[in-house]
Amino acid sequence: MAYEITLLTIIGINLILALSLNLITGFCGQISLGHAAFYGTGAYCAAILTKAGLPFPPALLAGGVVAGLLGLIVGLTSLRVREDFLAITTMGVGFLFLGFVRKQSWLGGELGVSGIPAPGLSDLGYMVLAIGIAAAVALFSLYVRRSWMGFAFDAVADDEDTARVIGIGVAGYKLTAFALGTALAGIAGGLYAHYARIIVPDTFGFTLSVTILAMVVVGGIGSTWGVIVATVLLSLMPELFRFVNDYKLLLFGGLLLLTMRFSPGGLAGLTRETWHRLRRNQGRNREQVDDGTAARS
Amino acid sequence: MTAPLLALEDLRVRFGGVAAVDGASLTLEHGTFTGLIGPNGAGKTTLLRLIIGIVRADNGRIRLDGRDITKLAVSRRARLGLAMSHQIVRPFRSLSVLDNVALAAGRRRTRDPLLSLLHVKRSTERARARELLDLVGIGDAADAEPAKLPLGYLKRLEMARALALEPRLLLLDEPLAGLNHSEAHRLADTIAGIHQTGTTVLLIEHNLAEVMRVCRRLVVLDQGRVIAEGEPRAVMADPKVRAAYLGEAPHAAA
Amino acid sequence: MLYLNLFLQGLAQGSIYALIAVGLTLVYGLLRILHVAHAGLFALGAYISVTVTNATGSFPLAVLAAVAITGLAGMAIYRLLYEPILDRPPFVALIASIGLFIAMEEAFRLAFGPYGLSYAVPPNMETITFGGLFLSRAQILLMVVAALLLGGLGLLTERTRTGVAWRATVTDPPMAQSFGIDIVRVRYLSFFIGSALAAVAGVMISLINNLVEPTMGSVPSYKALAIIVLGGLGSVKGTLVAALALGVIEAFGTIYLGNLLDRDAIAFAFLILVLMLRPHGLFGAR
Repeated sequence: MAYEITLLTIIGINLILALSLNLITGFCGQISLGHAAFYGTGAYCAAILTKAGLPFPPALLAGGVVAGLLGLIVGLTSLRVREDFLAITTMGVGFLFLGFVRKQSWLGGELGVSGIPAPGLSDLGYMVLAIGIAAAVALFSLYVRRSWMGFAFDAVADDEDTARVIGIGVAGYKLTAFALGTALAGIAGGLYAHYARIIVPDTFGFTLSVTILAMVVVGGIGSTWGVIVATVLLSLMPELFRFVNDYKLLLFGGLLLLTMRFSPGGLAGLTRETWHRLRRNQGRNREQVDDGTAARS
Repeated sequence: MTAPLLALEDLRVRFGGVAAVDGASLTLEHGTFTGLIGPNGAGKTTLLRLIIGIVRADNGRIRLDGRDITKLAVSRRARLGLAMSHQIVRPFRSLSVLDNVALAAGRRRTRDPLLSLLHVKRSTERARARELLDLVGIGDAADAEPAKLPLGYLKRLEMARALALEPRLLLLDEPLAGLNHSEAHRLADTIAGIHQTGTTVLLIEHNLAEVMRVCRRLVVLDQGRVIAEGEPRAVMADPKVRAAYLGEAPHAAA
Repeated sequence: MLYLNLFLQGLAQGSIYALIAVGLTLVYGLLRILHVAHAGLFALGAYISVTVTNATGSFPLAVLAAVAITGLAGMAIYRLLYEPILDRPPFVALIASIGLFIAMEEAFRLAFGPYGLSYAVPPNMETITFGGLFLSRAQILLMVVAALLLGGLGLLTERTRTGVAWRATVTDPPMAQSFGIDIVRVRYLSFFIGSALAAVAGVMISLINNLVEPTMGSVPSYKALAIIVLGGLGSVKGTLVAALALGVIEAFGTIYLGNLLDRDAIAFAFLILVLMLRPHGLFGAR
């Protein structure tokens, strides 16, 4: 039972992390290769605060706020540079975070922070907390998608210039996406820190950034349900198939590669296509009539 | 005395070494319908892009209702009542035709990112969008994906989207291009109808027959400057205009 | 003297960056793809050099094999991975490339073990000292080779018809195509030459460190991306200057900022600083 609780806690944290990146990359179309830095910021911030005596809940929130502020700053760079540059800039932020943390003795340097206080919940309670927050983030994502914010995000992700012409303040939306997404990543970080009770810089490296991106990409960029399914699968994979463990990264890289090469829409795109194909087979005749009218007029 | 709706003062912009707009000044009064013509490369499109804010002026001022908007961002100008239908169509390819227009119709909802989160209902805007699609004559394609539509539809989608912003000044860049004769005639009538409801219109169009039919005033641009303006027939009789158009006869006849 | 020495060490490191980054720039110029997996080819070149040398005893043969096989591998990556997804949004190829790179690193680890390989007979790496300066033989060789290869490449593109066509294509592919240049051939050529240069860089590093590891490509790969951005994306000349400049800046930075940031972070701090001031890179035009 303890094992399942651990696994579910990790899945919960990963879900928050993947859905938070999906807000930025999936909804608003801003690629980020440095998401682990915000996760790390939240983790370090919350850990240091609880070690200083602050109760767990406000420390967790503070981690989110600080990560969100940092995200806001990084979001400002997205206003300056175009897409390709943004990918590399965010990647740079990741390395910058790591390089900075490693050299700070007050953050424990290479050894990180240990002896992080227990959050005062049972393992089961903590699992419920992690899954609960993940569920809230998932509901929030689904809501955003339906709201006018999601509508405007679609436009920004699709074509910034045209979005501006119809009165959408592109900068404001990008900053909102970055601030929201990174703040949620910060909360995931705080949860992780108080679950692991020890954090080291290397946890928050480029590999993690790519792992989070993989969850989003394999699930289907922008699809909340796709991201949820992919996150659960990718989190479980090494656990369910122990023999895979040695080949974990190979499989992982291969999965990214194959998804992009053969189904850039991810699981969600694949499902949608299959669904459409099924429907087309059912209503082939009617579709043909519809196509005919559209082409003629 | 009230300020004119739009006043351009000595606008200049250079691309590389070439002056695209070279000291253009122009005034549009409230409620007017002006045709902007000129030979290819005269700087017509650039002038419209300057007004809407996609291109920044190297020199000169743009005033809307007397307010200096020269340095204002594109989205702010759109919210002040400027809308443009582009010559090169750029629909949001991930949205349906209807949602392309509905999103523009909801500009009050999207004005502030945080407030936009509080609104979910899209029915009012979609209904408005449907009306506009019917108005420009593409109501049948409301649920289509833009990528699958022919150019004539997309041109009208551009226009419906611009109209959805309820602009005070509507900038149209060759809205009739790519339409057949009767479609062009009908859309020109639609534009004239929009003008009737009080919208000020500035129209670039190579289809001179339609321009002469619907515009009350013509402005001729050549080499980035205004070389003539006034009542359409008088302007077309101007020798300077004829000289500028020399060699451009095929367009004039089109 | 310390300054001059730091400067030379920086140039040596910069030469490695330059050899790697040229290929990235070519690929970016032609396809607008950030070719992260390029650093995997750098490691591949190094692995081939060590294994072939150890198996045959002939270093020249190993270099030849490294250059040829890595060049062909680069062409294969274009044909099998990038060509089918060229019309997708840019992040698709970027993520695919990251995936390939991770898979390559893992493949090296599984095939050659996690601890790396060394030459059976260690190459002569004695440090030469004159007048207070010290550089290893391998570093000197590296700088000479880099100067010869990149200089030769520069001459080729300045002086020959093929070279001019090539440069034109890298700068503006659609324009070049309208002049009747076969851009698919140019792409294959660029992948071959870019990958071969990365292999040379790999060989040089294998000599300097006498060690090749599965993860040896990680740091260069991301740093080379930073370099091509600094160079203005798609400008070969800008890339070379940025590569050498970054090598030198890192060398000095580790001395003066070492207690604040590590070497990699310094590179990216510099990158972000430059991008904020000049969003199109140090040498980029709009």
